[in-house]
Amino acid sequence: MQIDLRKPEFVMKLDRLGSYHQSKLSFLRSFVREFKDWNFQIKELELDKEGYGHGVYVVQKGEKQYSLVCFSNHLDDSDRSDRVIATQWDASFVLFDGLPTKHDILRLKANVPLQEQGRVTEKELCLSRANKSVRVFQHVVDCLSKGKQPDTKLLYKVGYLYRTTAVYGSGKFGLADRIKIQDRDELKGPFRLEMMLVYLARQFTFDMVNHVAHHRSPSIAVKLDDEIARNLGIGNSTGLGMAPFIVNHPALLNQWIEAKEKALQAIRSLPSILEIDKNNFQSYLTIVQENIRYWKTDSDYQIKKNDQLIKDLLKFQNYFMEIKLEEFFWNKVYEWAEKNTQAECCEFIVSLMMEVYPDIVEPLSYQMSIDEEVYFDFDTSRSIQEIRQLIEKQYKWLLNIDFEQKDNMFNFWYYSKNKQEPRMSDRFSEEGADLELPLAIARDIYYLYQDLKSENSSNDLGNYLIKNQEYRHVLRRIFICEKLPYSEIQDNTISKSLIPVDMLRLKLSFFGATRFDPRSDRWVRITMYQGAPLMREIGHSDDTWSYKKIA
Amino acid sequence: MHSLYEIETTVKRSSKAKGLSWGVSEEVGKAIRELEQSNLAGMESFRRVIDIGLDNLTKLLQIDQKKTNNLCPIHFGLYFLDQSHKKSLLNVFNFENLIEPLISLPFLFKAAKKNLIYFNLKSNDFNFSISPGGFILLDANQLPQSLSEFSLSITNKREGLYSQGTWDNLYKLSLETFVEESEEKKLSGAGAGLTDND
Repeated sequence: MQIDLRKPEFVMKLDRLGSYHQSKLSFLRSFVREFKDWNFQIKELELDKEGYGHGVYVVQKGEKQYSLVCFSNHLDDSDRSDRVIATQWDASFVLFDGLPTKHDILRLKANVPLQEQGRVTEKELCLSRANKSVRVFQHVVDCLSKGKQPDTKLLYKVGYLYRTTAVYGSGKFGLADRIKIQDRDELKGPFRLEMMLVYLARQFTFDMVNHVAHHRSPSIAVKLDDEIARNLGIGNSTGLGMAPFIVNHPALLNQWIEAKEKALQAIRSLPSILEIDKNNFQSYLTIVQENIRYWKTDSDYQIKKNDQLIKDLLKFQNYFMEIKLEEFFWNKVYEWAEKNTQAECCEFIVSLMMEVYPDIVEPLSYQMSIDEEVYFDFDTSRSIQEIRQLIEKQYKWLLNIDFEQKDNMFNFWYYSKNKQEPRMSDRFSEEGADLELPLAIARDIYYLYQDLKSENSSNDLGNYLIKNQEYRHVLRRIFICEKLPYSEIQDNTISKSLIPVDMLRLKLSFFGATRFDPRSDRWVRITMYQGAPLMREIGHSDDTWSYKKIA
Repeated sequence: MHSLYEIETTVKRSSKAKGLSWGVSEEVGKAIRELEQSNLAGMESFRRVIDIGLDNLTKLLQIDQKKTNNLCPIHFGLYFLDQSHKKSLLNVFNFENLIEPLISLPFLFKAAKKNLIYFNLKSNDFNFSISPGGFILLDANQLPQSLSEFSLSITNKREGLYSQGTWDNLYKLSLETFVEESEEKKLSGAGAGLTDND
């Protein structure tokens, strides 16, 4: 039986992309797999009794070394803000290429805590900051200093001790450009350095509470239990700044989606499976149904999605218990899920299916990067007729959108002077639409198509561009989409009905985030590395930690 | 020293602020990035173009256009990038003068590679060639058959070939593509939350 890849017009809708879940392809999991045979150690932890100072964590294999330098500073509650325009944080981090000298540490100490207002150099690879979850941090330190373990109900409700509010890489603020590191074997997966930074920062949060508790009561204090620590991740608070990334990097987006689609296709194409495969899937399914209880959110949007997921999973569970092993078992399971469950549950089941087949899925994680420069230039010898046909084939979904309708062009994306981040606003009541970022892909391709109708079909694109350079940015995309069919989100990103959190969710799921907690339709809190091995255990990691039961 | 990412982004936004389309601004950002990465003073060259003003330069829109004095290097480069697949361009053309020719080079490089063609720019005091193989030669005939007593310097350091003033000027220009937010918009367009002490 020939099982095809799912079609882009089915996959690339935002309500489906915004229902993605972490999987074996997620970047934090591929980071752990890639670095499990590296040596992780604390090189320095020079903190005062309140926990202020710095620490250095080193990841090493042979002569290759990466170091996380952490700075911890006092912060008044009134200054604690997750907003990107904040100027102070409880902790700040920088990933250093190699081992920093004392001189480097002094230089970094003067700059890293300032984040966007400081300067780093090409010796540095990633930059980040984090704020405490105050009530959890205080509770944990109080308990440990009294010789007790903290209340896990409170801990697992939040899921972390600190949450990061931004992780920067690839040349920002003077950091090393990606070309410096892109050919290193250990960094072949996307965002691998960012994942390393977050993983090490998580360890720093555990060492921090142990340190402060110890200095509060040296004779009584106990260390945070490993099992409890393992079930804590590191939080992240993410706003709209992340959303344009997936529009601005179409070739990369294609690689991420295509890897997942290839994995699903390969699993659905298995003509026969073993009983143990079905049982493994069932064990993951059982744990997931338990762990969903810890997904807390006040967002009506996410509450509805989670409730529907729980209902759908129950329905699916009943189906799955009854189904017998037969030819193309997973194809039948998938088809049932697609037909009988919402996208949130269907995509969850896809992630669980991938869990059962590491040999199929894990090699695909090495295909998730791409040299985007290769796709930047396009062939201007193509005829106008060909361009029209490409639009009709690849962008059929947008040709019937009426862009004269207010709701279909309601929003515009802009770069905020105040926040130095991309934002979105109502073009009819706010100023600034003349400075709109080139993210209205559907609208611009629609108008390009209308314009091409009046052109001579046999003329070439080069000729057209002489007087129509305003369409250059979308023409580039049309050619990318011709080669990479999963490169384009097939929804109108300026529509009034757009839910930007779906765009964040897509990217965060590939990072490996869990516990999506949207705080509005445009920012979300998530958790990373919950359940992951502690730093000293990483060598024994078997990549099943994502589906461990949270106690 | 600014990263190549910062250079590309700042030039792209500056180009947009000066009225170029986003698509062309992306091309200019990449071109200046490539020049700076090659230790060629693209930023200074770009700033001089901005100082002259794009409106004061002549766009090359047709190969046989009459007016070819003060040609804009961006549009000169774009013209050949977009048109040089045409056989009719395999010829010799004369122009009056091209401002900041350095900026045109990355475009000509790409055009040469894409269409497997050779460019030879020749004036009274200048003669160089660009080949699809990626070589640029100031004068191919001047290469000796052997070199004696020579040194070869190798470094991984990129030189900063532009002044802080040039950077500040272009960065300020790039901010003109940013939107000043009203108090209301700060809330409605906001990303992160309001209560962060939880």
